[in-house]
Amino acid sequence: MTALAIRGRRRASLPWGWLLLAGLIALVGLGFFVGFLPTDKWAPFLRPTTWRTFGFGLLSTLFIGGVSLVASLTISLPLALGRVSLPNPWRWLVATWVEGVRATPVLVILAVVFFGLLRLGVDFDTRQWYAIIGLTIYTSAVLAEILRAGIVSIPRGEVEASRSLGLSYWQSMRHVVLPQAYSRMTPAIVSQLITLIKDTSLAFIIAVPEVVGAGRSFFNFYGNPVETYVVLALLFFAINYPLSRVSRRLEARQPADQRVRVGGEEDLVATEVP
Amino acid sequence: MFEPVFANFDFFVDGYVTTIVLFVSAFIGAVILGTLFAALRVWGTGPLRSIATAYVEFFRNTPLLVQLFFYATFLAQTGLTRNPVQAAIVGLAVYTGAFVTEVVRSGILSVDARQLESARSLGLSQLQALRYVVLPQAVRTVIPPLGNLSIALVKNTAVASAIAAPELLQQGGVIASRTFRLDPYVAVIIGYLSLTLTLAFITSRLERRLAFSR
Repeated sequence: MTALAIRGRRRASLPWGWLLLAGLIALVGLGFFVGFLPTDKWAPFLRPTTWRTFGFGLLSTLFIGGVSLVASLTISLPLALGRVSLPNPWRWLVATWVEGVRATPVLVILAVVFFGLLRLGVDFDTRQWYAIIGLTIYTSAVLAEILRAGIVSIPRGEVEASRSLGLSYWQSMRHVVLPQAYSRMTPAIVSQLITLIKDTSLAFIIAVPEVVGAGRSFFNFYGNPVETYVVLALLFFAINYPLSRVSRRLEARQPADQRVRVGGEEDLVATEVP
Repeated sequence: MFEPVFANFDFFVDGYVTTIVLFVSAFIGAVILGTLFAALRVWGTGPLRSIATAYVEFFRNTPLLVQLFFYATFLAQTGLTRNPVQAAIVGLAVYTGAFVTEVVRSGILSVDARQLESARSLGLSQLQALRYVVLPQAVRTVIPPLGNLSIALVKNTAVASAIAAPELLQQGGVIASRTFRLDPYVAVIIGYLSLTLTLAFITSRLERRLAFSR
């Protein structure tokens, strides 16, 4: 290693991360004991009914995230292939759609979908669909761009070789290019999943029931908004932190020249940098 | 078409300006925070390094919406500020700062350690070596991902509408629900695209220029 940070042999160091965590827990305990953390604001989190409320919210959050992910993965394939393989007016159309959607804030897309569907008179009983449609529009465009970058990164020679072996264009796409592209984009997909899970919280703004909404009805009753937001943040952290570890590990395993780079997404940027 | 937009044009311009204010102040804050914590992650020892790591991991894995709600209520409860724009700037800066930390850290690490050592042995002080040898080289690797983060930040400013900061989406949404028409939202989208596409253009120009001079 010739990195700037490491000079000579690294000294054996104390497990500072764990010590910090232990210190934090001790501080919280002391906070309750001495009283600078108000016990009455935190006590409601110990009731089983609280966790039923949060549990239902979390279930809805995971439902929105899961369905959006599957739908986005499905729709991103024709979008990416359209941008790679279609003749020109169509290719241009698909590219404009993908780039336009990627450059628009998710929340704006959610608002337009919600407002537009209401205006058209579409009324879902399961309100989660408003969020799923909006998040799918956005995430499918990002995944399409990731997949396109993956397809383009496969050397031309591979397609030429498989074509000369008698495979049709689509056969070589199906059996040679796409499997490699998907394997290269796996870390990016996982990091986009983190973005997606964070973005499900935006469904709260269009009044779709999910975990932030559950938190709000909870603190409206107990009057502890700040504490509830901390707990909500910890819940999301518990889901996303393992995912971000997985994403970084996969990324580190990939040779530098096989990394798929796509901009405009903070989680993707953070995964890409070594 | 677009009558509600033109009839309330000032209203939209106010929102557009607020969005730009949010973006610029949060970006400056994020770069300062990011540089600070990146330095801690690279050169910090023991607990300092752990604190920097905890900062990055916690804030990047938590929804921005929850963070903004937290600051809005916390700052109001402690009596510091009731202004949603100020709360949003704090929230956006702290959130984006976590990502900037990762980018700056990788920029610092991309410079070979021998560069610093030879600069030191030529008689430069540690600070001089960092200022004249390491920094100019690190900036080169940092600019393209930083440009990408700035695009993401512009998009994230829209979340500030959730705490009623009068930015573009908030203003457009008010007009849309008042007139029950979709075209205010079209104007909002055009507003955001004008910012994100400009930043994307600048980023790709810079990226190409930096790649050439290498």
